[in-house]
Amino acid sequence: MTLTLGHFLLVSGLLFALGLAGVMLRRNIIVIFMCLEMMLNAANLSLVAFSRFRPPIDGMPDYNAQILVFFIITVAAAEVAVGLAIIVALFRAKQTVHVEDLNSLKF
Amino acid sequence: MIVPYALEISVVCVGIFLLMVDAFLKTDKTTIAWTGVVVLLAIFGLTFALGPMPKGVIPEAFYVLDPTALFFKRFLLLATVLTLILSIDYSPVYQKFVPAAVPQAGLGEFFTLPVFACAGMMFMVSANDFIMIFVALELVTITFYVLVASMRKNQGSLEAGVKYLILGALSTGFLVYGITWLYGITGYTSLDGIQSVLPRVPEQYQPSVLFGLGLVLVALGFKVAAVPFQFWVPDVYQGAPTPVTAYLSVASKAAGFVVLLRVLEPFVTTPTFQVKVFGILTILAAVTLILGNLAAMSQQNLKRLLAYSSIAHAGYLLVAVASLSAPGAKVAIGFYLGGYLLMTFLAFLVLLNVAKVSGGDDIRDFNGLGKRSPVLALALLISMLSLAGLPFTIGFLGKFFIFEAALASGQYVLVVLGAITVACGFYYYLKVVMAMYWQPPAPSATNIQVSPFGQFLIALLVLAIIIFGIFPQPILGALTHL
Repeated sequence: MTLTLGHFLLVSGLLFALGLAGVMLRRNIIVIFMCLEMMLNAANLSLVAFSRFRPPIDGMPDYNAQILVFFIITVAAAEVAVGLAIIVALFRAKQTVHVEDLNSLKF
Repeated sequence: MIVPYALEISVVCVGIFLLMVDAFLKTDKTTIAWTGVVVLLAIFGLTFALGPMPKGVIPEAFYVLDPTALFFKRFLLLATVLTLILSIDYSPVYQKFVPAAVPQAGLGEFFTLPVFACAGMMFMVSANDFIMIFVALELVTITFYVLVASMRKNQGSLEAGVKYLILGALSTGFLVYGITWLYGITGYTSLDGIQSVLPRVPEQYQPSVLFGLGLVLVALGFKVAAVPFQFWVPDVYQGAPTPVTAYLSVASKAAGFVVLLRVLEPFVTTPTFQVKVFGILTILAAVTLILGNLAAMSQQNLKRLLAYSSIAHAGYLLVAVASLSAPGAKVAIGFYLGGYLLMTFLAFLVLLNVAKVSGGDDIRDFNGLGKRSPVLALALLISMLSLAGLPFTIGFLGKFFIFEAALASGQYVLVVLGAITVACGFYYYLKVVMAMYWQPPAPSATNIQVSPFGQFLIALLVLAIIIFGIFPQPILGALTHL
């Protein structure tokens, strides 16, 4: 059996759906944050797959999408750095990382 | 004559320079903000001396300079200047909520980060490629995570920061997955490329394109606070430091709308996708109008009220986006956002000054403001009337141009809905006015003094709201010519 574009897209779709379900259902902010990273990596996987399976132009594959993947990885790292710092600050102030306890802003 | 992208590069350099100054400055940190104000105003002046794009250095596929982009670059520079001035006013409050080993710790970053966000948003309004859009958008979003959560001893600010972080990162996930599918089907990340391929997309792949576009629209819906992606707005607006709230509601929304226009352009000009895309946009506009206005009516906190009003204004702007087939729609969006900048910053300027003395931003803290500070009360009165859309203010003309475009493109349902929700708007904006002029002040309430510079700024904004409300030509001209 050879791997086709469909297989890659299926795995990436599953990863995205799992990540989204995790964000919706889990209650721990750290786990939610991990699920968000999973969604970004789902996009990375399908970008690389789409780029790899595109017919080459003049013998060269289309690198635009693969460049975008590098940008996504870099930005995700920046987001994690800032995000974890904010979560740590929240934990120091409230001694909790559960979404149910984020309830001081209500109308 | 300078090259257009020198603007963004110089804004980034200003940001880095201010951070360096912050590291070495031992005296009053507000100098940093004042330096930022002066330099950004100088860069604003440079926008009038731009040359054409040089050929070949940075391709047009990445970076465009059209009247919309240039207008919004000026808009964003002014919004950043106003934010820095508000931040200076806000710095005593800010310092109370930041753990400080040395006096004024954290203030330098608080003054510098808006400059970086400004650079990101200036790139956003010129971005013409999904790679560029993504990177610029993330520069803005990550900066805003820090700004929103920066009052680390205030639980509201931290909570708002975490909520903004989770939902912002979620929207990023949607954005990149949407870009993936658009790239997968069309083979291009640039919007020009997508436009060239779109009419030739075979029928069996059209749902995939719509799926990708839908995910991108979800992400941009988060940015511009469209229902049903608005649930972060009230909490984040209430919890964030007041200048950041103003910046978020004006600049981030405006940049989001420009990106929305650019992304939609290939799709609304392609006959096979036109009808479906306009259908989605019409529904978005209708629910945003209804929910934003209805939810605003029961609010007791002015910051939350302005948050819901910001959702409602996104609704009016989406009416114009859903009418993009009319020639005047794009100009109407630019004009509306220009007016929104003036009214919102005026409202937040008053809110900030009142909250500093009263210690809270509930509507009841504004009781008797007409007696306590006639200047502030008059300014807030004009801002509220303009937000509601009273004639002879810029808010009225903005709504007028949008409804005109909607009528021209046959969106009659949205026009009727808009007219009804404008009436709701009068109710909740006038609630604030009533508190100021008809309610007696609380016994402990003191009179409020405004600094001479603050008074000058208030007078400037009030004059601009009224003058551009009667003579809109300068703004309309800037929107149509380079």
